[in-house]
Amino acid sequence: MDAVIRRRGAYVCRSCTQRFQRHLRRTYGSAAQPDIYDVVCVGAGPAGLSLLTALRANPVTAHLRVALVEAQDLAKVKLWTLPPDRFSNRCSSLTPSSVLFLDQIGAWRHLARERVQAYQEMQVWDGVTGARIEFDWAPGSTPAAGTTIAYMNENLNLTSGLLKRLEELGGVSVFDNAKIERISYGEETEDLDLREWPVVHLAGGKQLSARLLVGADGANSPVRSFADIEARGWDYNRHGVVATLELEGEGWGGEHAKIAYQRFLPTGPVAMLPLPGKYSTLVWSTTPSNASLLKSLSAKDFIAMVNAAFRLSPTDLEYMHTQESGQAEEYSWRLEHTPFDYQAVPQTVVGVQEGTVASFPLRLRHADTYIRERVALVGDAAHTIHPLAGQGLNQGQGDVQSLAKTIEYAVSHGQDIGVTMSLEPYVSERYAANHVLLGVCDKLHKLYSAGSGPLVPLRSLGLSAVNALGPLKSFLMNQAAGNGIKVF
Amino acid sequence: MRPLLRHGPRLSRPARPLWRTAARVAQSTPAAGPCRPSQRSRQLSTTPALQHTHPASASASSSSVNETEISHFSALAASWWDPHGPSRPLHLMNPLRHDFIRTCLSSSPSSSSSPPALRYLDVGCGGGIFAESAARLPSTLSVTAIDPSPTILAVARAHARRDPALGLGKKLVYLNETIESLPVPESPAEGFDVVSLFEVIEHVDYPAAFLDRVGQFVRPGGWLVLSTIARTWTSWVTTNLVAEDLLGMVPKGTHDWNKYINERELRGYFDGQDGVWGVPMVMGVVYVPGLGWKEVRGSEEVGNYFFGVQRVA
Repeated sequence: MDAVIRRRGAYVCRSCTQRFQRHLRRTYGSAAQPDIYDVVCVGAGPAGLSLLTALRANPVTAHLRVALVEAQDLAKVKLWTLPPDRFSNRCSSLTPSSVLFLDQIGAWRHLARERVQAYQEMQVWDGVTGARIEFDWAPGSTPAAGTTIAYMNENLNLTSGLLKRLEELGGVSVFDNAKIERISYGEETEDLDLREWPVVHLAGGKQLSARLLVGADGANSPVRSFADIEARGWDYNRHGVVATLELEGEGWGGEHAKIAYQRFLPTGPVAMLPLPGKYSTLVWSTTPSNASLLKSLSAKDFIAMVNAAFRLSPTDLEYMHTQESGQAEEYSWRLEHTPFDYQAVPQTVVGVQEGTVASFPLRLRHADTYIRERVALVGDAAHTIHPLAGQGLNQGQGDVQSLAKTIEYAVSHGQDIGVTMSLEPYVSERYAANHVLLGVCDKLHKLYSAGSGPLVPLRSLGLSAVNALGPLKSFLMNQAAGNGIKVF
Repeated sequence: MRPLLRHGPRLSRPARPLWRTAARVAQSTPAAGPCRPSQRSRQLSTTPALQHTHPASASASSSSVNETEISHFSALAASWWDPHGPSRPLHLMNPLRHDFIRTCLSSSPSSSSSPPALRYLDVGCGGGIFAESAARLPSTLSVTAIDPSPTILAVARAHARRDPALGLGKKLVYLNETIESLPVPESPAEGFDVVSLFEVIEHVDYPAAFLDRVGQFVRPGGWLVLSTIARTWTSWVTTNLVAEDLLGMVPKGTHDWNKYINERELRGYFDGQDGVWGVPMVMGVVYVPGLGWKEVRGSEEVGNYFFGVQRVA
């Protein structure tokens, strides 16, 4: 199936082909002329929307003719709203450099800022040995950008804000609720030779011809398949379980010193990241069977499992995953026999918001390249990362920032923005950086997924050593906040 | 050999060059192989051109084009637009041409506040690397691009059809002409805002006569902009010995070191035109493999450089 999809020349899934053939029969001969665009962006996630916003907001690139193609109904996304005490379960950490970029393109002020939570401290520890890194700023060493490590934000808050900013800027041809039937190449006519220009065929007959086709269309990117770019990697055989949690209070540091927690368990890291008020978002990487168990539990038992994940031993947890129900009672009994520093773990979870427990498979993928003639990939279409460092969305924003800058340079120097010659700087700036980060997160996952054996004492030594070395720690923290030396 | 130069076959830039930008054709000189550099100066004013054989006889039949150069560059036509072909250094250099032109234009404050609508004449346009890019700029009104090689112009036209924004035949016009055969503007004011000679003059046999002719196409207030390479030991080693003979990065015969022109010689030529031209702007650039072209102050003395001069009268 992959092989079929990757055939060069045309991306077509089987059912689309059938539909398309039917359509062809219907409209053959009407010879719809494609609309010609400078940029056709497929995918209205954070990466695609940021790219178009950056292009529209920059006077150098504002004259480009741009189109956005998206399967969802964007009106719903733009009008997205939730009561102040309800939070979406899909949240991402935004580094200060991502926020700076969003601010520069005028999007940040369109987010519901009261729903964004900055955090200033990270607590990371090894569930097997207890070795711990405390990521807090040493006195006098706070970076110029402030003490915020990152901002937790609902993905929908970001996409909704970006859509509002795009509407304010105007000038984007939006095709939402759109189904891409296929992508092909253009044709040669008497005046023009568009045989290297991708043409996006939408259901209904609309055709968009692209000087540059941007794949911001996610991990299973149809644009990437069309461009015949291989994405290599592996599945972790892990799922990420997410949920919106209610805690007993605003956190040990109160409203202004929020803490992110992450514990490495043999099955994968479990992280609790602060949202405004008493709320937090959970990202728990675990085995697919554990994930289905967690999703099947009652609210009470699910809450007990989350509390246990930050407090009990891996052995206790393993046992509790074998129970079909009754984890709440099991947890309270076992907790009495488990010594721990209650201020070193998140405050107790007291509630889980209805309908927010969900899971998704974790994988690592990296495309062989991000560009082909008249094609560029950004975000998840280019790379999928383990969520343990919270870097996926930020990597996408980094891609977009780089691609927008590359396009700006090309436009201001009269280059055709679609040709690989113009796009090369984007790849050379982003590929190695993304690859390093993918590798680091992958290694961390593997290192901490071992429950016993020679790696365990070594890794706790590693974490303790990191904690002891102040300068190294600040370096790592600055990396996490994206304001350090640009290694990643 | 043909007398006067033409503009030559420049064609531009075809590329090969590495650090050189340009291509040149060597067979045109009697000494075909790499010539030993001798540091004699190339007095533009002592060439036959200087005696104005050219303008005097002004007929379109005289031409700065060297036939050998034309055939050399025509042979490169197929690879002209291959980003990884022999023209890659020229593709990489192209953005710097715009940076340099911008520097020149901004050095003389424009009298009108309206957005610029510039008319370009690109002499020795080759496959159209510069001409296309100039035509894409919003500040451009038109680009007239000429080259003596029909083979290369066919490549240029075919490539321009791939981009609807170029307006081939309207905003961007390719003409199979030499600078001698192209009619001089009827009045100075009808001249071009920017006349460009990128990697051309080093292919011309009689540069002074060539520049005499080219200058007539620049409107008063407009700019003549060129890039070429200095005739130094360094350029002989890098372009002839290393690039052609040792590494074979550049087709043999691309460079005729004896035709290289030093910045001081160009300066001398324009200074000697009785106040027609302003003070030249110069930018030296160096090709760093893997990084592309970088501006290096003072490098115009040793290798590739841009040279721009405004027509003030």
